[in-house]
Amino acid sequence: MLPEMMSVAFLGGTLALDRNVGWSLMLSQPLVGACLAGILLAPGSDIEIWALRIPLGIGAILQLLLTDASLPAAQRPHDTATAGVVGTSVALLGMGHIDHDLAASASGLFWIVVGVAAGLLSAIAGGWVGRLHRARSRGDVARADRLAETGAVAAFERLYWGGILRSFALGAFWAWGASLLGVALLMACVPNLVAAATGPRVGFVFAALTGAGLAAGFHAHVRGRPKAWRWLALGVIVTLVLTTVLFRGAA
Amino acid sequence: MTGERVKRLDLAAVSSRSIEIQALMNPERMQGLGFGFALLPVLRRLYPAPEELARALKRHLTYFATHPVLAGYVLGVAARLEERRAAGEPIDDSEIDTAKRSLASPLAALGDPLFWVTLRPFAGLVGILGIVFVPSPYAVGPDLRVLLCPLLTLLTYNAVAWPYRVFAVARGYAHADRPGDILRSLDLAELNRALSRAGAFGFGVLLTAAWMTLDPASRAWGASVIARVASLAPLWIGGFIGFIGLKRWPGRGVEVGLAVLLVALLLAWIL
Repeated sequence: MLPEMMSVAFLGGTLALDRNVGWSLMLSQPLVGACLAGILLAPGSDIEIWALRIPLGIGAILQLLLTDASLPAAQRPHDTATAGVVGTSVALLGMGHIDHDLAASASGLFWIVVGVAAGLLSAIAGGWVGRLHRARSRGDVARADRLAETGAVAAFERLYWGGILRSFALGAFWAWGASLLGVALLMACVPNLVAAATGPRVGFVFAALTGAGLAAGFHAHVRGRPKAWRWLALGVIVTLVLTTVLFRGAA
Repeated sequence: MTGERVKRLDLAAVSSRSIEIQALMNPERMQGLGFGFALLPVLRRLYPAPEELARALKRHLTYFATHPVLAGYVLGVAARLEERRAAGEPIDDSEIDTAKRSLASPLAALGDPLFWVTLRPFAGLVGILGIVFVPSPYAVGPDLRVLLCPLLTLLTYNAVAWPYRVFAVARGYAHADRPGDILRSLDLAELNRALSRAGAFGFGVLLTAAWMTLDPASRAWGASVIARVASLAPLWIGGFIGFIGLKRWPGRGVEVGLAVLLVALLLAWIL
């Protein structure tokens, strides 16, 4: 498990850089993080199909739920960057260790639900970890001023590179620690839940989370945007027409 | 007075450093430290004497806040003003500071709604639509959507954002005397409007596709309406709680998601 955890830590650090340092390449979006973690942690070919679909499910639901279409100043201090990575890591590493205990029918969706839950909890706790970096950055202001005043420009640059390194290290540490904690909790809890985790129950929870994700998507893409209802209706009509035409063509 | 001129390589170095402008972001100076860090290659060129370099750096460690993707325009303008100052023109600290602020505020006002409020959710939506519409293997073989869908998200966002990033410093430097021209030429508000509509359209597509995928009777049109609605009850419950929750507490998707998870677990257990 050590190589996998190293990959998770490296990925978490990189995504933290994307979010905190200013790269803003969108690597830190939950869908991207979850899929990258899925690629890194993909187990053997015997469960490859599900192993690669689980990150897609986790990433899509987290992407919808964690997309906060408000200005940065109004956003909650959640760590959405590593949520997808932690969710997928917990699900895939957990699946690799204890999947045999679960009924095959519920298996895939069960791990998506587990990954989404882990991702949501990780987003809240990751926000607390992010405060460490921000608090330290606040302390760096006085130091940067002092270095500039004394003409120690090279030392100022080192201070800045140190801030970038700190952001990476905190992201890596958080992704690693949260994934490890999640897998440990899972290994302790899941054997007791096997009897209760039936296909219909897991499907119920998965569908409810999907519904919540779609509601969040509505708030992000439609609500409060001028003329958005018209474009939403157009999207619905175009999809229905195209689907009907394609089905007829196929028939 | 050095008479040195800024070289293309210096501007390229400023561009490359501008992507790390938020590393030491803090409420007191926002991106101020990052601005000084990014401008250092130009300041080094213009002020070889250590005391002058230190003074110039200190000038640029003050409060600065704009959208990170568009920060390059302000860096370019500041580089040009510093060059003129180093050449002996009577440009004082407050003039440089005013020029920075007068450009940074409108760029933030136009950039934040475009990149954070509209483009970022839209890019995520495109990736999710990829999951729905890209064919997946049903029997054996790897599911390549895991590679393709994040790629769609990354390409959608960066196809819009990177042209601004790559050319921003050079354009800011070239148009330093006419900052209004920079703002007018960017067309950020128009782009925001177009992407906002595309996002609503894409969400309509996603809603329809989700309904057609999840409705177990959607391809059996003879089934009763009540049966079809009831079969989607968990989806309605999650959607209802999510909608009401986010309407009451905007931006709290994490908390609302956890609330839905708890309610669904409880209902699944009882039912």
